[in-house]
Amino acid sequence: MTYETIVALLGYCVILCPAVLLALLGLAQLAGRPLSERSTAQATEAAVLLGLTAAIGMLALMLMRGTRYVPIEFGNLVFIPEQHFHFHLKLIFDRLSVPFLILSYALVGTVGAFANRYLHREQGYRRFFLFYAIFLLGMVVASLAGTIETLFLGWELVGLSSALLVAYFHERAAPVVNGQRIWSVYRVADAAFLIAAVALHHATGEGDFAGLMGTGPWPGGHAALSSQQALGIGLLLVAAAAGKSGLIPFSGWLPRAMEGPTPSSAVFYGALSVHLGALLLLRVSPILDLSLTLSAVVVVLGLATALFAALTVRVQADVKSALAYASLTQVGLITAEIGLGLRYIPLIHIIGHACLRTLQLLRAPTLLRDYHRLENAIGAHLPGEHDPWGRWLPPRMREWLYRFSFERGYFDAWLDEYVIRPFVALFRWCDAAERRWTTLLSGGKGRESDQVIAAHEEEPL
Amino acid sequence: MAEPFSSFRILCEKRSPHVSDSATLASNGTDVGSFAGRVPTLPQAIEHAAHLLPSQGPITSFVHHNTLHAFEELPFHAALEAGSATYGSQPYLAEDQYRRELARGRILPQDLSAILIEDLGDDADALIGCLGTRYQLRLAMLQHPLRSGTDAEMRWFIAETSALWRFKDEVRPELQARAVGKTQHWVMRDLRGNGVAADPRLERLAAGLFEQFQADRIEHWNPEKWAGFTLHLLWRVCRSGVHGLAANPRHDVRRARHRDLLLAAGGPDIDPWVNKILIRFCGCFLDQGFAAWTLPHRNEGFWRAFAELYRQSSPIRGWMRNLPAELRRIEAAGLSPLESLAESLALLGVPEHETEEFVAQTLLALGGWAGMLWQMETNAEWTVHPAPAGSLCEYLAVRLLLERLALAHGMAELGLTGIELAELRARLRSKVHHGQRASVDRRAFAVFQLAQFRGWSPAELWRLSKAEWATLVHEIEEFSGVQRRRVYHLAFERHYRNQALDAVAAHVRRAPAPPVEPIFQFITCIDEREESFRRHLEEVEPACETFAAAGFFGVAMYYQGAADANFVPLCPVIVKPRHYVVEEVVYSLQDSHRRRAETRRVLGRASHRFHTESRTFFGGLLAAVVGPLASFPLVTRVLFPRLTSRLAQSFGRFVQPPPITRLDLERTADPPGPEPGHRGYSVPEMAEIVARILRDLGLTARFSRLVIVAGHGSSSLNNPHESAYNCGACSGGRGGPNARAFAHMANDSRVRALVRQAGIEIPATTHFLGAFHNTCDDSLAFHDLDRLPLSHQEDFRKASAALDEARGRNAHERCRRFESADFRLSPAGALRHVETRAEDLSQARPEYNHATNALCLVGRRAWSRGLFLDRRAFLTSYDPRQDDAEQTVLLRILQAAIPVCAGISLEYYFSRVDTDRLGCGSKLPHNITSLLGVMEGAASDLRPGLSQQMVEIHEPLRILFVIETSPAAMASILERHEVIRRLVRNEWVQLAVIDPETPRLHWYRDGQFEPYQVDSVELPLVRRSVDWYRGWRDHLGFASIVPAGDARGAPAPDGTSPPGAPR
Repeated sequence: MTYETIVALLGYCVILCPAVLLALLGLAQLAGRPLSERSTAQATEAAVLLGLTAAIGMLALMLMRGTRYVPIEFGNLVFIPEQHFHFHLKLIFDRLSVPFLILSYALVGTVGAFANRYLHREQGYRRFFLFYAIFLLGMVVASLAGTIETLFLGWELVGLSSALLVAYFHERAAPVVNGQRIWSVYRVADAAFLIAAVALHHATGEGDFAGLMGTGPWPGGHAALSSQQALGIGLLLVAAAAGKSGLIPFSGWLPRAMEGPTPSSAVFYGALSVHLGALLLLRVSPILDLSLTLSAVVVVLGLATALFAALTVRVQADVKSALAYASLTQVGLITAEIGLGLRYIPLIHIIGHACLRTLQLLRAPTLLRDYHRLENAIGAHLPGEHDPWGRWLPPRMREWLYRFSFERGYFDAWLDEYVIRPFVALFRWCDAAERRWTTLLSGGKGRESDQVIAAHEEEPL
Repeated sequence: MAEPFSSFRILCEKRSPHVSDSATLASNGTDVGSFAGRVPTLPQAIEHAAHLLPSQGPITSFVHHNTLHAFEELPFHAALEAGSATYGSQPYLAEDQYRRELARGRILPQDLSAILIEDLGDDADALIGCLGTRYQLRLAMLQHPLRSGTDAEMRWFIAETSALWRFKDEVRPELQARAVGKTQHWVMRDLRGNGVAADPRLERLAAGLFEQFQADRIEHWNPEKWAGFTLHLLWRVCRSGVHGLAANPRHDVRRARHRDLLLAAGGPDIDPWVNKILIRFCGCFLDQGFAAWTLPHRNEGFWRAFAELYRQSSPIRGWMRNLPAELRRIEAAGLSPLESLAESLALLGVPEHETEEFVAQTLLALGGWAGMLWQMETNAEWTVHPAPAGSLCEYLAVRLLLERLALAHGMAELGLTGIELAELRARLRSKVHHGQRASVDRRAFAVFQLAQFRGWSPAELWRLSKAEWATLVHEIEEFSGVQRRRVYHLAFERHYRNQALDAVAAHVRRAPAPPVEPIFQFITCIDEREESFRRHLEEVEPACETFAAAGFFGVAMYYQGAADANFVPLCPVIVKPRHYVVEEVVYSLQDSHRRRAETRRVLGRASHRFHTESRTFFGGLLAAVVGPLASFPLVTRVLFPRLTSRLAQSFGRFVQPPPITRLDLERTADPPGPEPGHRGYSVPEMAEIVARILRDLGLTARFSRLVIVAGHGSSSLNNPHESAYNCGACSGGRGGPNARAFAHMANDSRVRALVRQAGIEIPATTHFLGAFHNTCDDSLAFHDLDRLPLSHQEDFRKASAALDEARGRNAHERCRRFESADFRLSPAGALRHVETRAEDLSQARPEYNHATNALCLVGRRAWSRGLFLDRRAFLTSYDPRQDDAEQTVLLRILQAAIPVCAGISLEYYFSRVDTDRLGCGSKLPHNITSLLGVMEGAASDLRPGLSQQMVEIHEPLRILFVIETSPAAMASILERHEVIRRLVRNEWVQLAVIDPETPRLHWYRDGQFEPYQVDSVELPLVRRSVDWYRGWRDHLGFASIVPAGDARGAPAPDGTSPPGAPR
């Protein structure tokens, strides 16, 4: 077997494992013959182990040969020449994607083993693992994406599974509301992403990162764009990254994501999907290099988010919100590092942070026991006000800071009041206008649905 | 909506400041005098309402109690009704869950009919028209599920399914044939031809039907066509019958709160707005040291802290815009929180007589947090940050202030402008649609289904007069879903009760005789998890004897271990300990102890720093660098939990306190206190404790050479409810130190001398040994083995070998309940399995705790020894022959046992029947907050109660006490003790007594003891427990476990299967 065949085989294996897993779990449910808990767990374990082994094998091969760039072509998924439309599926293995890929496999795999026991006997066990498979596939595709449309595909899969997992307990209202909120933030990010992708195609004629950034492997490479184009497209991409990573002003969704079962909160929001924005920025880093303004925007956005989250985390009294904002602090810093032109440091930062945060989130329910143990070790109640700086600020300032953090920077309120409200009001107005017109035209009751009595108003026998 | 543009305009106008806001006082000028008069009565109203709030304190010391404690004054079923009305909770399991129990034999048809007859009394034979008796009607309603739904659903069901074409599957063929036959007669005789012309009603009834069925070939119709025709006709008859009947008077839902009315009238739900702020604020206010910044002005109380936080703010949210101004106005007017509360009530138009109801409903809108505030204010002086007195009042004042602002905003959104808040309720009540109408389709469909089950033909129903129809519908509606579930519940309880009492009656005759000279004696807690342990121990070593007393063994103390930072109370929650006990490392090891304590302190500080710093800006940077190292514990913890914990333990051994310690147990100075010299007990106090416990146990003679006293507790990971798994008699603490202290006292020769004066002679050759049983990993640790006399080492070796074997078997029996444990596990494998569970981060069910508890036996072990109770029975030792005429000992035992066991049983009952409202829902999204409790997700109400994972296998039954005493003696105890009387009289628990002399049973029913008629005398007999429970996950029936040749007149063991078990 030649080197090329082995590489291709490993490459296909990496991507096919989660795809087959998803197909297996999904089709079994579609066919009305869902797998048992045991076989679901076995299938998941097999897929993750195989994928992880292939990824590590790929890394080993690349290290041995000293290759820094291995593309795997799947060709055009959709191709309509008349419309100048193509959807080009291509995966690349390089210094950015391989570490991210191995990280995804390792964390998702561990959490899969965890969830298998944690969700034992749970009604939604199969649903959870179905979303899990979607998430894994999304993460793998997004890490390896070689074209912007491939990245978008992975990005969407992650977004979809994340929103569904937040709304996992769909018999209660809060998870559904919060899931929907996250979904809408993701839509905004997706729209920005999509426009950026189209603009990129428009500017360069294709979405291939290799073509876009010259031939040099990551993080070398130079984007074939003008500075102006880079700024425009870059800003859109930054907006997309901000939505996905919960940077300001979208930060409000991160604590809301804690509605799902502990393992999914841990790996998905605490560790992986929150870093997806950073991954995007790293992937398109040659564009950042082109425009100083753009880099500055990224730095400012990252630092502002980090500062905001570092303040907010201090007033959180519940462990999961605290961890969510702690994550956000680091994601902000990572973003700033990227803006400063660093490449490997943010990557290392992501890996370290993701591992640590996953462990902390998985252990979150053990907090009381941990605190008790620490108390016993220290021999006294734990110091409550563990904050060296707060003391130096004037009281008024401290109160202001406390309120700012307590209100979580007012970002959610601001979005509600100045974006969502006018939006809803506009559509209410349209609705009212329509009702008026239909009433006028039909010369009577405009809408039959007005007469329907809500089901909950009737009592069962 | 009156005008299409109004809503948009209001939304826009909201932002302009000149719109007068009826929530603020500026415009309407209510003066202080008009509400000041209410102020003095308010604290009392709030205190009353607070009784309705959950009474669970901080989760770190979890105490089981009756979830509906507020209604304990009422009889059980009435209390359930009141509870449903107050909390909107379910009183019983759902009907189909009971039906499932019926299908798998946990309820038998004879239980249902017996309960129904008993329930109806003389009314059972009342005739409903000519359609049979009330009993028959109700039985039919119980046996077959009646479908119902909304009107739209009903219409769909009739039109789209085969409901009018085929009889329901459950209808017996002969009933179908009868209905069809009668219909044929009726049709051929009356409906076709001349009969119709004579009766216009009949004509209307059959209109179009014959055409639809092509009646010209009526004589050649096949049976299916006739069935379809019969059902169509039946449906028409039912519809015309119930048409025009008056609606049953129905209790309207109490809607005292403006919010409920606003929501019902189509307005926005203001609770999420207000709750969002209050959840976060309560979390910060009650925080026990988690957040890095404490809430400013927290020490000045809830109101002050809130006012300071928002007085200078400029909120963005529309409904909160007026908050700062309003806070400043209240401050300028010099109103106290209580006065502000009174003012809010006045502004909201709540009249004085309604205050309590309104306050209660308002508090229940965020009941978990309000309850925690109340607990922290009244009952938590031992916590790091208790809440100041008056916190709940101040919370309510803040809440009503916010509600006022939110209501004003919500009103505007609904298009209600220009009215005062005080008028809002009246205005909304007139707007809200009153659903007081009887649904013809739903009523008709109920009768339609019943007619099939009971074999009523259309002709019979057609002849009913309107009055008879009214009676029929009334009868059906009277036996509502709740009533049917009540009957099911009673039948469920009856089945288990009869099985239990029959088993006791049968087993008493064949229980093996206790050993004459026991080789060792083993004393445990009364906890039902020790039942199997004792049984296995007695199987392994027939020459041993076991006893049980409440697991603090009379030693009520504040205890501090050698490695503990603080004192914790180890005694039932109703007892306030006076004594302090400290564990100390022996003198020769104190240097090493100090060194290790210092190391622990350094490590502890470092890891606490890391823990908090990893969430900060710069600390997090560092954490990210060492982060990849976290992947190691992450992966090993999840994939190899047992191995990882073993490794961690062996490393930890270097910093743990040295293994040889002693209790500072003897007090030399008065009064008792935590300082050296004042700690511990005086010798007479010790003697009193020892004598009392031995007397309670009935262990006053025949002491063996070794007596082991074992407290219990449970350890598990990733489990915020860990404390709930510990010993209930130690307020959710671990009972090891109590057992150790008791053994220590009983070994003291001065104590023994005093005990001898009390009439109990402990031989000098008897040695007591303390131990700790971990019910999660089934480990057993002995205390003070270094003080074991050389002469007793051989005894200990034997006993510990038996105990080792017993804990393996115990783990094996427990594993049968865990789906993830293979049936083929050996006892050693089972031990490994339960050890893994205890150390597994991902394990949501480390053990099943008190789940399945259903029984409490109080009496000598002699008659329960060898009875397989399936870990469902609390066992309390008591020897009536050693009690005095006033039953002093029994009263002493019961005044602890009945409330504690009832609390556990009822908490499990309510958490099981309504896990969402009365329990704490699923464990999976739980989020520890303020180090006090759990929320679901990032912002929800605090969730008291038990989780779905804890109660899923529980059968919600009221606990049945079987007490070895005479009915007269028990009656006298009921007279004397108020708490016991209330629980028993109001039927929160079930009670039976077994006569010490003749094994005759009486059970307590309707206020008196009645002789119990044994149902069945058959009780399976097997040699070993494992022969009975092997290969079966579900609940098991009773059985006698009698080793060969040890039964008194017992028949040879047979292989009878447990009911429902596969052979």
